[in-house]
Amino acid sequence: MRLGRGALIAGTAALGLLAAGALACGTAGGGFGEGGALALLRFPRVAAAIAAGAALGLGGATQQGLFRNPLADPGLTGVFGGALLGLAVLLGGAPGFAWAHAWSLPAAAFAGALGVSGLLVLLGREGPPARLLLTGLGLNAFAAAGTLLIANLAPESRELLLNGSFGDWLGMASPELIIRPVLICAGAGAALLTLARPLDLLALGEEAAQTAGCDLRRLRRRAIVLTALAAAAATCLVGQMAFVGLLAPHLARALVGPRHGLVLPLSAVLGAALLLTADTLGRAALPGTPLSAAAVMALLGAPLFVWIARRHHG
Amino acid sequence: MADLVLQLSRVAYERCGRRLLDGVGLSLRAGEAAALVGANGAGKTTLLRAAAGLLPATTGDITATGLDPRTAAPAAAARRRIYAEQHPSCAWDQTVAELGALGSRPAAWKDWAGRLALTDLAERPLASLSGGERQAAHLARLFASLEEPYGALLLLDEPTAALDRGRRETVHAAVRAWAQAGAAVLVATHDEAWARAFPRVIALEEGRLIADGPPAAVFTAGLVRAVWAGSPA
Repeated sequence: MRLGRGALIAGTAALGLLAAGALACGTAGGGFGEGGALALLRFPRVAAAIAAGAALGLGGATQQGLFRNPLADPGLTGVFGGALLGLAVLLGGAPGFAWAHAWSLPAAAFAGALGVSGLLVLLGREGPPARLLLTGLGLNAFAAAGTLLIANLAPESRELLLNGSFGDWLGMASPELIIRPVLICAGAGAALLTLARPLDLLALGEEAAQTAGCDLRRLRRRAIVLTALAAAAATCLVGQMAFVGLLAPHLARALVGPRHGLVLPLSAVLGAALLLTADTLGRAALPGTPLSAAAVMALLGAPLFVWIARRHHG
Repeated sequence: MADLVLQLSRVAYERCGRRLLDGVGLSLRAGEAAALVGANGAGKTTLLRAAAGLLPATTGDITATGLDPRTAAPAAAARRRIYAEQHPSCAWDQTVAELGALGSRPAAWKDWAGRLALTDLAERPLASLSGGERQAAHLARLFASLEEPYGALLLLDEPTAALDRGRRETVHAAVRAWAQAGAAVLVATHDEAWARAFPRVIALEEGRLIADGPPAAVFTAGLVRAVWAGSPA
């Protein structure tokens, strides 16, 4: 049974409740604090998790639609890896410049993400679906190795980059650090929502979509640039984060069917809800031993993903 | 000429060193329906794809509904042309109704779904249907997307290959009706009886146009052997 717009409304309401819960939860005392002081301290982290989760969900839904492949996810296809490598190059090569010019962080991440996206399209788009994923996995491994290499060569950025590799940057969220990436997530996300109709047509295959009036080159260009932008901004906020981009679109399609007009916004809402839940559980569930959002996401996400895979293909 | 909907002149296309289309020239007017026949590999699908603008590397002149489909904006070219692929596909677990909603007009889709016996299957996922039912679902979507038949171009690649008799006859009647309403229709088919029912038959062999005219003139014994070699003529 498919739920339609109701799922989007319910999902958004649930995300609001989750956000309120996340603002109230914490090891430094529960509740919102005197005059909301504690909530205000937690606000950047919650805002960063919501923005990054939404961008990750949308990025995954767009890549799956663009490549007509249910396993395409910027986390698996190396786009997040490329974003982190871009950040590593900047933070390893010119850390002084990076911290003096906050805009340079999302810019470097975008350059890395766009580079990997370009290679992915160039090397992996034609041929069987497996080629795309294998190409992406290769690019991802290469980018991860590059990031580690730079982390080893640049001791002053080493810990920061390693934390980024483990998706553990949400804890650093401060208003100055998150404002630009959050705005980029919002802008790229809004622009990605406009791709719903051409992505729907693309479900029919490239030739059928083209003869039905879809401008494939324009769609590809916009989807790749905007996904890279969303991935770059999300990476600046959380570091490497697997599963959100893969899970959110699957959950969305299971709830509302394949129409991108609903799948895209619902993937954003579910992505935000997933990442926010993972981050809140990670920092509040086990007092004294915080777990990164990426670790909690993998713990929760992997079984959920196996369940979805079995339900759809069993 | 004002009524000319499709015009191909000296159209050629080569792939992997093999000439798939070799100097093909033909034109179709509004209200004209033609069957495109030829043995496997004769170039029928390539010709339809070239006319649909899917082969940018094709040389020669192509005009379809007043535009060169190789360079026209896809949305403009699609407005008055439909192209039915030989093997349509659809990603994700779509139902017949969800497929029907892709680019078609809802009232027209309901009508076509009824005519192609799909109404009871509307909520079924495509993956659960037979090949023929799936082909019918794709045809219903395409037929329902055409707004104004006069001067429109329909390029149909073996649209009835997988259909049962009832659905086949619906498509045969639809092709006649489109042509009567002023559309130009070009249908690739291996169904000899259906091809003989068209007022005009165009035959291809190894990428070249070898015959073009009324079925009585085109269906010579030699052509039937060439096109349906191995099948009882």
